[in-house]
Amino acid sequence: MQSKWNRREFLKTASTATLGALAAGAPVAGLLSSCSSSSDKNKKLLESDTVKQRLANSTADTVILLWMAGGMAHTDTFDPKQYTPFEKGLDSNRVLSTFKAVPTVLDGVNFSEGLESIGKVMDKGTLIRSYVAADLGHILHSRHQYHWHTCYEPPQSVAAPHMGAWIAKELGAKNPVIPAFIDIGQRLTLGEGEELKAFHTSGFLGNEFGPFMIPDPTTGLDSVKPPVGMSYKRFEKRNELYNKLISESAFGEFGSDYQKESLRRAMEQSYMLLNSPEAKAFDLSTEPKESYDIYNTGKFGLGCLLARRLTEKGARFISVTTEYVPFMGWDTHENGHTRLKDMKKEIDAPVAQLIKDLERTGHLDRTLVILASEFSRDMMLEGRPGAEVKHQVDQPTIINDIKNYGMHRHFTDGCSILMFGGGIQKGHVYGKTADERPCKTIEKPIKIDQVHQSIYHALGIPEDAHAIVEERPFYTTPDGVAKPVMELFGKKEVKADAGEEVKEA
Amino acid sequence: MNLKSINSYKFFALFVVLVAITFCPLFLAEGLADPVVAAASGTENNTFWFFKLLGRLHPLAVHFPVTLLCLAALLEVVTLKDFNSRLRPGIDLLVILGAAGAVLSAILGWMLAGQEDYGGDTLAIHRWTGVATAVLGIISAYFLYIIEKKDRWNLIKYYRAIILFTAVGVTAAGHYGASLTHGDVYLTSVIPWSQDYEGEPKGKSSFSLVSLKGNKLSHEQEIELNTQVRAIFAHNCYKCHSSDKIKGELRLDERDLVFKGGKHGPIIEPGKPHQSEIIRRINLPRSHKEAMPGKGKPLSKEDIQLITYWVEKGAPWPDKGQKSIFRVAELKPRNPALPEATQSLQNPVDLWVNEYFKKTQVTWPAVVSDRIYLRRIYLDIIGMVPTPEELNAFAQDTRPDKRNIWVRQLLNRNDDYALHWLTFWNDALRNDYSGTGYITNGRSNISDWLYKSLQSNKPYNQFVKELLNPSKGSEGFINGIKWRGAVNASQRTEMQAAQNVSQVLLGLNLKCTSCHDSFISDWKLKDAYAFANIFADSTLEINRCDVPTGKMAETKILWEELGTIDEAAPVKEKLRQLAENLTKPANGRLYRTIVNRIWAQFLGRGIVAPVDAMDNEPWSQDLLDWLASDFVARNYDLKELIYLITTSKTYQLPSVKIQDEQKINAQDFRFTGMLRKRMSAEQFADAVSRAIQPVYADSAVQYKHFPELKPEEANAPFVRASLVKNDGFLTALGRPNRETVITGRDSQANLLQALELTNGKAFNAVLKRGAESWVSRYKDSDTIVRQVYRKALGRTPLPKELQVAKQVLGETPDTAAVQDFLWAVVLLPEFQLIY
Repeated sequence: MQSKWNRREFLKTASTATLGALAAGAPVAGLLSSCSSSSDKNKKLLESDTVKQRLANSTADTVILLWMAGGMAHTDTFDPKQYTPFEKGLDSNRVLSTFKAVPTVLDGVNFSEGLESIGKVMDKGTLIRSYVAADLGHILHSRHQYHWHTCYEPPQSVAAPHMGAWIAKELGAKNPVIPAFIDIGQRLTLGEGEELKAFHTSGFLGNEFGPFMIPDPTTGLDSVKPPVGMSYKRFEKRNELYNKLISESAFGEFGSDYQKESLRRAMEQSYMLLNSPEAKAFDLSTEPKESYDIYNTGKFGLGCLLARRLTEKGARFISVTTEYVPFMGWDTHENGHTRLKDMKKEIDAPVAQLIKDLERTGHLDRTLVILASEFSRDMMLEGRPGAEVKHQVDQPTIINDIKNYGMHRHFTDGCSILMFGGGIQKGHVYGKTADERPCKTIEKPIKIDQVHQSIYHALGIPEDAHAIVEERPFYTTPDGVAKPVMELFGKKEVKADAGEEVKEA
Repeated sequence: MNLKSINSYKFFALFVVLVAITFCPLFLAEGLADPVVAAASGTENNTFWFFKLLGRLHPLAVHFPVTLLCLAALLEVVTLKDFNSRLRPGIDLLVILGAAGAVLSAILGWMLAGQEDYGGDTLAIHRWTGVATAVLGIISAYFLYIIEKKDRWNLIKYYRAIILFTAVGVTAAGHYGASLTHGDVYLTSVIPWSQDYEGEPKGKSSFSLVSLKGNKLSHEQEIELNTQVRAIFAHNCYKCHSSDKIKGELRLDERDLVFKGGKHGPIIEPGKPHQSEIIRRINLPRSHKEAMPGKGKPLSKEDIQLITYWVEKGAPWPDKGQKSIFRVAELKPRNPALPEATQSLQNPVDLWVNEYFKKTQVTWPAVVSDRIYLRRIYLDIIGMVPTPEELNAFAQDTRPDKRNIWVRQLLNRNDDYALHWLTFWNDALRNDYSGTGYITNGRSNISDWLYKSLQSNKPYNQFVKELLNPSKGSEGFINGIKWRGAVNASQRTEMQAAQNVSQVLLGLNLKCTSCHDSFISDWKLKDAYAFANIFADSTLEINRCDVPTGKMAETKILWEELGTIDEAAPVKEKLRQLAENLTKPANGRLYRTIVNRIWAQFLGRGIVAPVDAMDNEPWSQDLLDWLASDFVARNYDLKELIYLITTSKTYQLPSVKIQDEQKINAQDFRFTGMLRKRMSAEQFADAVSRAIQPVYADSAVQYKHFPELKPEEANAPFVRASLVKNDGFLTALGRPNRETVITGRDSQANLLQALELTNGKAFNAVLKRGAESWVSRYKDSDTIVRQVYRKALGRTPLPKELQVAKQVLGETPDTAAVQDFLWAVVLLPEFQLIY
């Protein structure tokens, strides 16, 4: 039997126990932590030993997810291959990339034309070129997005929580007045809206951890200020009336209970947020014009700006999306080449600026920024080699019309992810795809549960974090077995059953 | 630098050194643990008997230094003011003897560890703390010597610090020593708020070894003995030795696998406990590396005796009539004889609760006032708040049985009743107007069937039959949601049907079991597949954790007693047989489950909780059984059940407040009255619609239950929230996505909800329209305040409330002020709670 008692364990015990308690050793420490584990509210959560301990072990305390909704072709963005320019009579089978490759700040690493700004900040982050999406049969964007965000394949017998909800539950809000899980840019009223709702949820964790939706970043302020047409003075007066009526209410006779208390607490919290200086962070009009203009490439760019401002004020998890609307955005079923020019324009400057701004203000060290998509695209392959599924786009063998020039089929076997800050290696490339079709992952494949565990690892959330639902454990990633990819953090891989993780490389 | 500061500097340095000496063993332990273990196993049987004896004197010897040194430290504290008190010679003696004792104990301990099979980190810590203590004890004695013999009086405070540390050290060493012999949860297991708490021994087992001490065991005795042994395995060994984690290739959850043994061969020699590996392992000292259980607390003496006895008797494991180690509820109905009615208690519910109250020593409190009662039955039966006119009429009604009469009237409002219960059943049957699956026709809506079933108060057995053996209108429930693309085997639609039918109708969780054998119940993967197969066109292949096993599923109802299903029959016929068999009165579980759900809707918590776990223990088995039997006897009439509950004195008791939500479903819950409930999203919207201003426009209606009539003709003054699509407002207030079965909603408020209510666009617009309407109807603020209080809260405002409100409204209020007042009132806990 290996000795599992180590210094960290001891210090953890010692930090909570007094000298007297120390004489009694572990049992007393266990006793203390069981007292604090009943704390359910954010403040208590933040002050709890568990969260403190997690944050002490963490390399990040904020996560920004930049979501490229609709399937971003790796060979036309962050993993360019042989470029074949458009000409009439072009053979589809020859086309791997529809853009030129351009150099990045990293030696020997090229991006697709149009992503030059992001290329210049790659010395601050890691490029993953080997993400392999799940094989879910016939391709449906919303199912893959559900899988990416919850780490569970739909459908599930219980409502699986979004990654943001897990983070909200495990760590609470960083700043109590800013909702722990913020989702910017996605409307749920358009095509496949119901399917999107299925994962924009805290699921069985309870509404408390659900997303605070800001469908349009330019009107984000509306979500956190008094209702339209109400002055702050009137808002103040209204709240005062409410509190007075409560204290005068005949209901006082019934005393307090958790429902009444939770109602009052929630009302106070919302009043705090709506009245707080932090609320100004939601107001993009106060951003200096030069900066605003750089970000202003559309809703996504302004979403990045809003995410940056909220990060500065203490957000926990923010998702910014290019917005999934069937056949729009990255979901290119035709005109792929032409449309990607616009998509790149929309993301290039704001993403680069976000990284630079976060670094300049010192927030990048503790903020993990991830750019990802549900899967990639290819001109010929639908699904993955060996598991090809029914084509959803008719791709002519000979291209005569530019509308057929682009990555129009859904490809799951090689996708790119960018990660910056929050302990992530700088100037690093992880994994590789083949240079010939199929341009699939050939080195260091990484799957969704590893991506999730890496993000949780950065946040100090243990691999086996779970909730008990209907008497069974439900883990953040299926069965709680996946491990973080330590190389992303510049560390050695964790051995399968080592009791202690490798702390410093 | 003066002398004093030098002294305190030195003192600090000494402190650091002492801390280091006392606790460095903890740091060293990790590195040293391995050689310790190696040494231990190497010298196992070769020790000379006398050294063994000496070693075994260690547990005896250690008590001396513990007592002596602690007492010395205590006396030192008592005599802090006067070093040369009369106790001095005594203390000196204690220190010297204590130090000597510590040294001796350390030596003996070292011998003991070297020859017996101790190991692991606790031993390492114990060893080095013990050694440190001995060292500190000697240092203490040495300091005393130089203080007293060499007159170094300035060393007194250093000495005292050292002796205190020695006491702490000896205590720590003693603690870890005790952990070695008693297990590390020995202390915490009896502290109620500790994670290790084991609780009171569960309901005394009638089983006793003595009763079995005969020559030959009867078949029943064998079953009993075997059940006891399996219970010990389940609670102590399954964590590492069952289908989900198989350490040492050993599984203890199935008969054949138990006898097959593990990596090192069989673990049981039937009839020969002394040659059985399992008996050797569970008898090893706690810290031996082969001791079992390797994790958690050691087996109790009784457990070890029992397993030993079982092996001695040939390890009987009878095939038939195996008892479960998990609590399993009776399937058969039971109709206990009602206690006799008394003058004050007539309602059968009250008679059973009275029995329960007698047992739990609760005296009946007075029932609630007319106002509170009327608000309760309105919200609970038809989901709306009473109007002021209704409240007045009720108050003025002088009939002695007016509460019964009004309940009956409410139950007769068929549409209002159906519109309220639609929400409950939509959640449970995962029916909605929009949601995943509809986009690809992978799901069908049952709203029309459901509404009409509720509206006509369809007998529940018929209701269930039509869900199980559906027509076009009701097929949505068992058809589930079909997603495009490949789906995990445990989520194929047939399995969804098995899961949902068992959860909703039978209060049984098959979700674990649809992937692998359950470890929270006795249900097996093949049972779940046999049940799912009833819903399948062609025989299902059993998949274990999404991997095909090559075995084909049987076709069976979960309980064979309920009848058989013809495997070869077409699916329609199988469903007919299923519907007939499941709804038989003999299926007590079906009817217990529904009466328990209805009870929970009214009283805030089921007689069994959670409501989906019907194998849990009810707080009154008699009440549950009687209600279920009575329900069958009254032709499965849900409204009669509701009548019975809502006219009981039990339902009319004052509401009970709960400080901690977690406690509601706890198994030691004690019923004392209705738990205070929070309005559902739909109840809240409807209450606002009725009292203040309609929330939804007619155009929002998704299901038109009155196709020929206009809303006003249908006596529907506003659009009920159960008829509209889910939206941000209802979501925030807790209306779920209905992709999965939901049988209970969040009852706590949260920030997202509060934000939606505070500045949500839609809700703000409703209140604005409301304010405009109120201002146009009533001129002065006095009337407005009184009317709002009457309509929303069912009472007149207190003078103080009136005053506060009028301060804000002024004499002739403007729209904005009224809007703010309306907002404040509907957000009051008094408005939002059902109390």
